[in-house]
Amino acid sequence: MSHAGHRDDLLRVEDLTTRFYTEEGQVNAVESVSFDVRDNEILGIVGESGSGKSVTALSAIDLVDSPGKITGGEVWLRDAELAGEFRGDKPEAVDGDFVDLRQLPTGVRRALRGPKFSMIFQDPMSSFNPSLTVGEQIAEAVEVQRRASANPRSTRSRTQGYGLGKLLVDSVVPGRKYTSDESHERAIELLDQVGIPDPVERADEYPHQFSGGMLQRAMVAQALAGEPDVLFADEPTTALDVTIQAQILDLLRDIQQEQGMSVVLITHDLGVIARMCDRVGVMYAGEVVERGSLEAVFDDPTHPYTQGLLGSIPDVDDPAPRLEPIEGNVPNLLDSEMPDRCYFADRCPKAMEACLEHPEERAVEGDRRHTARCVLADDEYDPERALDESQFEGGDGE
Amino acid sequence: MIAPRTIRSLKRGLSRNALAKVGIAIVVVVLFVAIFAPFVAPDRPGTQNLNESRQPPIGFEKATTQEVPVKENGSVVFEDGQIVTENRTVYENSSWDHPLGTDGNGRDILSRLIYGARVSLLVGFFGTGLAMLVGVTVGLTAGYYRGKVDDVLMRSADVMLAFPSIVLAIALIGVLQDALEQSIPDPFVQTGVAPAFRSALGLPTGMPESTTLPGTIIVVVALVNWVWFARVARGEALSLREESYVKAARALGANDASIMFRHVLPNAITPILVLGTIQIAAIILLESALSFLGFSSANISWGFDIALGRQYQSTAWWISAMPGLAIVITVIGLNLVGDWLRDALDPGIEGEGGV
Repeated sequence: MSHAGHRDDLLRVEDLTTRFYTEEGQVNAVESVSFDVRDNEILGIVGESGSGKSVTALSAIDLVDSPGKITGGEVWLRDAELAGEFRGDKPEAVDGDFVDLRQLPTGVRRALRGPKFSMIFQDPMSSFNPSLTVGEQIAEAVEVQRRASANPRSTRSRTQGYGLGKLLVDSVVPGRKYTSDESHERAIELLDQVGIPDPVERADEYPHQFSGGMLQRAMVAQALAGEPDVLFADEPTTALDVTIQAQILDLLRDIQQEQGMSVVLITHDLGVIARMCDRVGVMYAGEVVERGSLEAVFDDPTHPYTQGLLGSIPDVDDPAPRLEPIEGNVPNLLDSEMPDRCYFADRCPKAMEACLEHPEERAVEGDRRHTARCVLADDEYDPERALDESQFEGGDGE
Repeated sequence: MIAPRTIRSLKRGLSRNALAKVGIAIVVVVLFVAIFAPFVAPDRPGTQNLNESRQPPIGFEKATTQEVPVKENGSVVFEDGQIVTENRTVYENSSWDHPLGTDGNGRDILSRLIYGARVSLLVGFFGTGLAMLVGVTVGLTAGYYRGKVDDVLMRSADVMLAFPSIVLAIALIGVLQDALEQSIPDPFVQTGVAPAFRSALGLPTGMPESTTLPGTIIVVVALVNWVWFARVARGEALSLREESYVKAARALGANDASIMFRHVLPNAITPILVLGTIQIAAIILLESALSFLGFSSANISWGFDIALGRQYQSTAWWISAMPGLAIVITVIGLNLVGDWLRDALDPGIEGEGGV
């Protein structure tokens, strides 16, 4: 626990680092990322494709799969009950009401998915199993939580009452049901809650019979099955057309307020962030380059990348016909090609000599909760000290 | 599990594919005949009648002229130190009692084929089922967990493949001996339904009261052929585990076993079933080969009957040819059904899509 937390913090992610070990080499997908999620808020994470937004969310809920590996960092969750349970055994994993999930056993971490964390994905069409009905899949999510809460002490609880043989038979033999009637009824309630008309009939339909927007609603319903405290929404509207996007965003906000949960909204759409979020983190090349309240980041961006992002949105009120794109491309995150300097330096219009050293995350002057990974956070741009092309010696992979 | 869409594309495939209908007809007939053997078999498959040995099938009766010694008072006649012979016409009669002829011991070939179908299909279906169970479990586990688990499981599968299947099967039979042989009583004969039916029609009664279930052969063919299922299941699992719905299930707290069986397996089932139909044919062939070589304890079996006819190849070809034809037709039928399933269920033909 390094920096002072806010008293409303629900989840504090610190220095989370995820690597992918691919055939081309090590990819630094998430590089020492820190963010916090407070009670009852929507936190936006914004960045270009390939900036590590999704992997950050997957890392936070421990869903990174080989060849990826979380190599460092801490994920502190506020859970008094869990903290009490581990205070004796693992004092280093407990701090007040917070527990560091990275130090807990795998079984415990899995048990948190559902009741603590849940996630909805980008493409609703591929996020449902085509061979099961939508209702059945939502009921399954309910059933998993029901069985877990029926037997909270046991890590085997998720298969409780389900030997492997019964599981196999119920899954493969047509007409056999894996889920109970209660779970099915709850699934229908959830479908109703997310605004699906005729939930009773729709529950018995297959995913291909749903439209994209309806399916995204169904996925929200599925994510709500465990009554999560934090819902990660990974580009929930990218695959949908614009009118449906607005509906889904409204739904997410309504549900968030109704349930009093927190949402981490991952998107590349600055408009969505501006419309939905209380606070925002901007990601670039696997790092959070700037974070703070929506007002602080959007009205007073410190990092030149954030400034560039905001400068590249067309503004209806501004008659200026030219947008200002950020020159160059996102680096490919291969470890061997990542420079020691600031990752953004070679695209940065305000790069200075100080940028040859990789910057730490530092508080922006005048706002302790607004931080940027940039020398400009507590310095002024000085053309005298500007970095010119010749100073990029080697290691930038060009 | 079977979506209406699947059934529609199966029907469409059937209407476009006349061969598929032939295949289904063959499989249905073979199944029917095997199940109702005590009703359809014209004669007892095991009873010898040396007076009627080597009768040709219907349509192959012929008269030949043979040189036979002239006998007087039961002894051959000599003239100038030579046996006196004469040319006589010898008839090889066929009879409707034995439409496909009789073997060297005068047993009805058709009845033996009908009873042999039981053995072949038992081995084919149970052997494939067992191979599927083992192979799919191994393949799903390997593909789902990847990494070291995958390496260990699939490399051992490769080792299995490195052996010629017949040699491996013979070695396994040597280990297992006939420990798993079972004799299943024939319910139709036991309950007296079949004998009553037969005597009402005036057919010979006294059909066998049980059928051999060659457990050793079933286990052996499964142990030889599971690798194919493992490979297909692994490939499917490798691709399906990357689907968003698998990730979604994990995000919702589902455990590995339920993800494998509920989200991976049902979506991998199509290629596995297609492989299954084709494997039944392959396993029937393997069973025939093993019976031919004398490694099966079943004494009525297509492969075994081919072996019986081998010594009569030059004079009574039908003893070997008829069971050989039975194998060919059944295997072709199963392969046609397999082709139809593959064509109809191939996702390339009917895409995913909304309504």
